[in-house]
Amino acid sequence: MKLRTIRYFFKEAFVNLFRNGWMSLASIGAVASALIIFGSFLMISINFDYIAKNVESQVEITAYVEDSVDKLRLNQIELGIKSIDGVKEVVFVSKEKALEEFKKQVGEELLEGIENPLPNSFRIKVETPQEVAGVAERIQKIDGIEEVKYGKGVVEKLFKITYWMRLVGLAVMAIFAAISVFIISNTIRITVFSRRREISIMKYIGATDWFVRWPFLLEGMILGFSGSLIAIALLAAGYSYLYNMVKLNVPMIPLLRLEEFYDYSLGLLLMGTFLGAFGSGFSVRRFLRV
Amino acid sequence: MLIEMYGVTKIYPGGQVALKDINLKISKGEFVFIVGPSGAGKSTLIKLIFREEVPTRGQIFFAGKNISRLKRREVPYLRRRIGIVFQDFRLLPEKTVYENVAFAMEVVEASYKDIKRKVPQTLERVGLLHKANARPSELSGGEQQRVALARALVNNPDILVADEPTGNLDPDTSWDIMNYLDDINKRGTTIIVATHARELVDSMKKRVIQLEKGSLVRDEERGVYGK
Repeated sequence: MKLRTIRYFFKEAFVNLFRNGWMSLASIGAVASALIIFGSFLMISINFDYIAKNVESQVEITAYVEDSVDKLRLNQIELGIKSIDGVKEVVFVSKEKALEEFKKQVGEELLEGIENPLPNSFRIKVETPQEVAGVAERIQKIDGIEEVKYGKGVVEKLFKITYWMRLVGLAVMAIFAAISVFIISNTIRITVFSRRREISIMKYIGATDWFVRWPFLLEGMILGFSGSLIAIALLAAGYSYLYNMVKLNVPMIPLLRLEEFYDYSLGLLLMGTFLGAFGSGFSVRRFLRV
Repeated sequence: MLIEMYGVTKIYPGGQVALKDINLKISKGEFVFIVGPSGAGKSTLIKLIFREEVPTRGQIFFAGKNISRLKRREVPYLRRRIGIVFQDFRLLPEKTVYENVAFAMEVVEASYKDIKRKVPQTLERVGLLHKANARPSELSGGEQQRVALARALVNNPDILVADEPTGNLDPDTSWDIMNYLDDINKRGTTIIVATHARELVDSMKKRVIQLEKGSLVRDEERGVYGK
């Protein structure tokens, strides 16, 4: 493709944009609002995921060992746990170590002179949080294990929530993507319609389909791009405000850092541009049949 | 042989038979009138040549290539070899005369240098160089059709196809256009004109192909319009 032709495409695209100035503004606004709603949902679900992962990674299994078990058997139990599929890490916590930790939590004086009531135990981390229940069940079956504890119920509930969050998030994304495409394709349709005469003349002269298509495709891409820039700016401002507020008031909630938001914003930009191209491609097709 | 048609039949969706078993050959450099009443199939015949329509049955060859089997992406390259002129001129109102003609070259991605050279030269040929900066709305009908002629010619087509080029023009202006077409033909471009203009056809003494209800009823060298 010649440079001259590319310049022609851009010139035509901008002429079209300005000729239908109000429609262009309206569709940039529409794309921006669609992407803002979409982006907000994206940020909520990403953050929820982030929080969930954080909590998930803290979920571990504690297996208490019967007092009667001797040292040799302890080693065997440890090996047994390690051999279970999905187990990532096993840490042995002796009676003494458990007491020490306990003392740190409640205060040294309180436990002065009392015989150690705490059992030996293992702390087990698993590969994926979804495996916690299954792994716990298998540990329970090992001889010499007295009791297995993990955030039962909490973990399952968490997974259910993140699962639905992801599903709903995807659905909302799909809906808003469709709305954006619809709005852009309508704007481009107006341009294409107002230039249908020109398009038909071009086709009679011997323009290729792509030669006709490019200016409109560019127009759509510019609309989508501008809309997503606005959306990103507003989302960034909104997110940084919320982020600071949460950090100030409820600092224990882990949130995605602002810098990480920018990674997603690049995706939004690409998506807006793609939606624009897609929407316009949709409209031009019909008029190329000459 | 520039154009050959063998057993060409065109039936539009809905069953209307526009052309029935047409056989004809047009050589390089010919000037051919296609005559006949409205609905006889003149426009359809023209549209088949530049591949706006495809025949329902039969084969059409353009410069030896079967265009009834052309792929969609090949059509633009066929049309670059054909200049097309319509009854309603089809100029772009917001562009100047010069821009309208240059547009035809931009569309086929001609170089800037060629455009600058070819456009004035072609406008000169149709006697409109002095109106290069005018808009179509400032021109008479005849002048507008001459701009359309320039646009059709600027890419050096093998053939110029005109569908009722004088349909919107008064008799004097029609004469004028026909003289330009004759002149273009004398310089080597093949010309096909579908027309109603009886007097013009009679006095030009060119080959006449007459269509009647979709059938070719007469093909005559140096013919007249007929009854």
